[in-house]
Amino acid sequence: MYSAIVFLPLLGAIIAGAISLFTARPQNGVNGHDGNDDHHGDEHAEVAGSVRAAEWITSGFLIVTAILSWIAFFDVGYGTSEAFTVPVATWIHSGSFVADWALRIDTLTVVMLVVVTTVSAIVHVYSVGYMSHDPHRPRFFAYLSLFTFAMLMLVTANNLLQMFFGWEGVGLCSYLLIGFWFHRPSANAAAIKAFIVNRVGDFGFALGIFGVFFLFGSIGLDTIFANAEAIAGSEEATLHIFGRDYSAEAALTVVCLLLFLGAMGKSAQVPLHTWLPDAMEGPTPVSALIHAATMVTAGVFMVARLSPIFELSHTALLVVTIIGAMTAFLTATIGLVQNDIKRVIAYSTCSQLGYMFVALGLGAYSIAIFHLFTHAFFKALLFLGSGSVIHAVSDEQDMRKMGGLRRHIPITYALMVIGTISLIGFPLTAGFYSKDGIIEAAFVGHNAAAGFAFVLLVVAAVFTSFYSWRLIFMTFHGKPRATADVMEHVHESPQVMLVPLYVLAAGALFAGFVFFGVFMGEGYDAFWKDALFIGAENEILEEIHHVPAWVKAAPVVALALGFLVALWFYILSPATPKALAARHDGLYRFLLNKWYFDELYDVIFVNPAKALGRFLWKKGDGWLIDGFGPDGVSARVIDITNRVVKLQTGYVYHYAFAMLIGVAALVSWMMFAG
Amino acid sequence: MTEMATLPSLAPLTVELLLAVGAMVLLMFGVFTGERSAPTITGIAVALLAVAVLMLAVMDNNGLTFDGAFIMDPFARFMKILTLIGSGVAIAMSVGYARAEKFERFEYPILIVLATLGMLMMISANDMISLYLGLELQSLALYVVAAIHRDSVRSTEAGLKYFVLGALASGILLYGISLVYGFTGQTGYDAIVAALAEGRSTGLVIGLVFVLAGLAFKISAVPFHMWTPDVYEGAPTPVTAFFAAAPKLAAMALIIRVVIGAFEPVTADWQQVIAFVAIASMVLGAFAAIGQTNIKRLMAYSSIGHMGFALVGLAAGSKVGIQGVMVYLVIYLAMTLGAFACILAMRRHDQMVEDIDALAGLSRTQPLVAFCLAAILFSLAGIPPLAGFFAKYYVFLAAIEKGLYVLAVIGVIASVVGAFYYLRIVKIMYFDEPDGEFDPMPMELSAVLGISGVFVIGFLVFAAPIIAAAGAAAASLF
Amino acid sequence: MDALLQSYLAIIVFLAIALVIGLGLLVAPFIVAYKAPDVEKLSAYECGFNAFDDARMKFDVRFYLVAILFIIFDLEVAFLFPWAVAAKSLGWFGFWSMMIFLAVLTIGFVYEWKKGALEWD
Repeated sequence: MYSAIVFLPLLGAIIAGAISLFTARPQNGVNGHDGNDDHHGDEHAEVAGSVRAAEWITSGFLIVTAILSWIAFFDVGYGTSEAFTVPVATWIHSGSFVADWALRIDTLTVVMLVVVTTVSAIVHVYSVGYMSHDPHRPRFFAYLSLFTFAMLMLVTANNLLQMFFGWEGVGLCSYLLIGFWFHRPSANAAAIKAFIVNRVGDFGFALGIFGVFFLFGSIGLDTIFANAEAIAGSEEATLHIFGRDYSAEAALTVVCLLLFLGAMGKSAQVPLHTWLPDAMEGPTPVSALIHAATMVTAGVFMVARLSPIFELSHTALLVVTIIGAMTAFLTATIGLVQNDIKRVIAYSTCSQLGYMFVALGLGAYSIAIFHLFTHAFFKALLFLGSGSVIHAVSDEQDMRKMGGLRRHIPITYALMVIGTISLIGFPLTAGFYSKDGIIEAAFVGHNAAAGFAFVLLVVAAVFTSFYSWRLIFMTFHGKPRATADVMEHVHESPQVMLVPLYVLAAGALFAGFVFFGVFMGEGYDAFWKDALFIGAENEILEEIHHVPAWVKAAPVVALALGFLVALWFYILSPATPKALAARHDGLYRFLLNKWYFDELYDVIFVNPAKALGRFLWKKGDGWLIDGFGPDGVSARVIDITNRVVKLQTGYVYHYAFAMLIGVAALVSWMMFAG
Repeated sequence: MTEMATLPSLAPLTVELLLAVGAMVLLMFGVFTGERSAPTITGIAVALLAVAVLMLAVMDNNGLTFDGAFIMDPFARFMKILTLIGSGVAIAMSVGYARAEKFERFEYPILIVLATLGMLMMISANDMISLYLGLELQSLALYVVAAIHRDSVRSTEAGLKYFVLGALASGILLYGISLVYGFTGQTGYDAIVAALAEGRSTGLVIGLVFVLAGLAFKISAVPFHMWTPDVYEGAPTPVTAFFAAAPKLAAMALIIRVVIGAFEPVTADWQQVIAFVAIASMVLGAFAAIGQTNIKRLMAYSSIGHMGFALVGLAAGSKVGIQGVMVYLVIYLAMTLGAFACILAMRRHDQMVEDIDALAGLSRTQPLVAFCLAAILFSLAGIPPLAGFFAKYYVFLAAIEKGLYVLAVIGVIASVVGAFYYLRIVKIMYFDEPDGEFDPMPMELSAVLGISGVFVIGFLVFAAPIIAAAGAAAASLF
Repeated sequence: MDALLQSYLAIIVFLAIALVIGLGLLVAPFIVAYKAPDVEKLSAYECGFNAFDDARMKFDVRFYLVAILFIIFDLEVAFLFPWAVAAKSLGWFGFWSMMIFLAVLTIGFVYEWKKGALEWD
């Protein structure tokens, strides 16, 4: 069953990919055809049929996978069976280095399986409607399924190399899908940016894996977990870098920080967050699946998965907390002023990921995973809902050109509101349970940065509420700002797009209520078993039940505050935000330009890299290597040739002279040298 | 004096006698019947050469005669068969040209037969005197053949240049021979070896250098190559084909026998000369060919380069090296004849074209010809698994075995540079737009091209007996 | 050494006599001959050119053809003299060698005759 879960998407990807390859050519041929002959119609029907087949095969496989995942979820999570592994194949055996393909199945895995396959299945079905006008659907579905496979590989990894395989696989698919509309320069730029920024993190991850192998002599998760405490307790210096010896604890910290660098890249944490908003160039279902629900949470998953070693390094956890809190706050501030509907949600995603990392940093792994779980539902809902909006207003993404859509697309409106209240943590919705849990954990955490995190998170909660309602108000309320032409065409999305949204809406509303108990309440031990490791002195889950009442109320107050401000700004007094922006022009620009991170990176990294690249290209490659290499050699050959050819004058006496010179030279040589 | 009175055995000379008598009979036949008999004489001449090949193949007439001045051994047999094939095919390939160019001189095949006779003498020469006689018989015939287009300025210029420089080379050779004679008192190879056993003198070494210089002219090795491009370009194309094939083989055989047979005790000395000449030929052949636009000139430099490669094997001075040279010559002959079959077929509107660019788009107008020529060119460049690769492989192997690393390395570099101009022709044939078609290829040329192409491509299949025969022939020298 | 040199004595004598006769015949006309020069007498022979003139001029190649053919057969005869002297000791080998040599030359002669090389027009 587990093999089926992992490999069915791969099979679907291969089939869809094959269809994509085989239909691509005839289609081009048809386009070049004169449309009048009968043959044309047949061929077109055939192509359409195979495209539909690609859609249904991949979607069907994913639905099956999702059902199997839920079965696995209840089986493992609510059953009593221990964690186990499903061997798949041998892979690398080199000296003491062993890495085999195997699926590690425990509660953490099945939670991720459920999240990934459910959202993926929903996105597949939704895409059938959303992408119905795109000629390259088979390729799209092939990428989606391939992504799902890579993500499943990541979450089921039994060793770090396998995880890295999945890690890179999702990165690749993310790249392909962001750049799916490859004829758009901005999409290509965004795809490249995502890939390169992720490389920074992946480099850290790779170094982290090397470090783990150095420390533990293995990259198998079982071995690492079993030996983690023993290694941490050893007195000898275990790591020797740049002439300095590091104690075991310092070595673990280094490794953890490197691994966390990988997580930062993948999960878009400050300062590696810049790629995520740009990634919105991809089709909206991709944003929902990859850049909201699954791939970006891989970092959270990784830290939770490696909790046995992170738990041993307080420094690393402190860094995780600080980075998470800063991300949550910083990206929320940026979200306040963005005008692109998808970018708002993208910054919201960054911000929520920051919440998760704060939870991880405080040792509340289960809460982080719980937030990951609920976030997947409401954020996918928001993205797909915004996709529905975009679909309705003829691919317009700028909220300033929307407004008043409430009456035209009421179902989408309702669904978006559900997503929003879940995101801002309205009591009893899914987001409420997980988010409050994190804020409370920040209050009681023993970490040095806990107080700092608490303050930032509460402020961020206000901002979250504000920008979420701002989005709703700007999009659905007020007067229509779109052209009359666009407004005429506004229409509710087809059922194939709405039904997936219903499912997600249900999740967004009830997932918290239903699963709260097992994730972080009294069912904790029975549910998680040994999947997450918590140090002996770590009692945070117990302590959050005993926080003062005002702490519990803080998030609710925050969301109410945010709501009221948004209401004031965008419904009651629309002139205020403009006046405010004008008065604090500097601040406004600072936020609008995303704290100038991109510009900063341009100056620090991109431009020097380009200059270096240009230098190596023009001077290094063009001048040095080509000049002295192929081009230079061939030019010298031509020079020699020209000279040699000149020797052939055509005069007999020159020829005779050459012969005599030759004889004379040979004779002299033989006499004096030979 | 008394032993001189007895008649020498003529058995080892059978083939030479056949050619000599045949040539004279043909001359009489031709002169009494006039120009119209030219095709007949051409046919008979080819038949004569074919019979000679057959006789060599079946007869067992090894031996020394004329007091050791003439020798028949497996080496001579191998090289003679090659030379005869080269000459015969060269005559056969001239038929279409002669018909189209109104170039019907019955003397042409007769001169080639006489030149071939001279070559056979050279191959069998075991004495400086017989060496010189054979060489001059061949050369005089060749001078005339080069200028046989009496009315063409280019052809007469070619003949004159060849003659003047050839005379100079002969002079150098004779001077060398006289020096050798002066310092050893002998002209017979075996006697020279015996005389050298007592030690070498500087005068002898100088004589050796002169002898080698005179002979190097015949294989157009640098720096005695200057005549080659001009003569190749100026001479009528069938003559060029002939020049590129048979005389090179005979002269190479002559050099091999001189250095191995007569100067074996001073191997270290002639090795240096041969190595120098080999390097210079390989390098110049590779570089100078790049600048050519005329395909006959290009082939001239190509043949200079190939002689350089063949000399690498000789420079090794070992049995393996000689075997390598012989294999090289077999393959060189096949490639050269095939390439010239194509060049002879380069006719447009009944005119010869010699520009390399005229081959543009041949792959579309004559795909089969283009394919065969491409195979031959790749082979000339030495690309495996074609014949040319093995040719180079064997000579370099011999050089490496003897520790001549510098020679082998320079050879490899030169063949890399040389590959450029061969591949350029392939590129022109396959990737450039055709600017016109050639006239249909005559049958005899197609046959030569086809056989050559098959040989070059399928060399691996035929390799074993050829290599074995070359090995046996080389062994007979030591 | 002396013996060796002595054996060349006859040649020296021969050379000396040849020199005397040659010089005598050259010098005598200047002394004894009757001199009556006119333009025709002073002009170059018809087969040749002016002794001191531009080398790049047209000339009739037939002069050279005749000259070359003459030299071939002249040398043939020059060979015959020493051969005839030693014919007895050379035996059959010597006899047949010369016969083949003459036969080959004869074939060449037939060729040039039939080709018309011997006819001026």
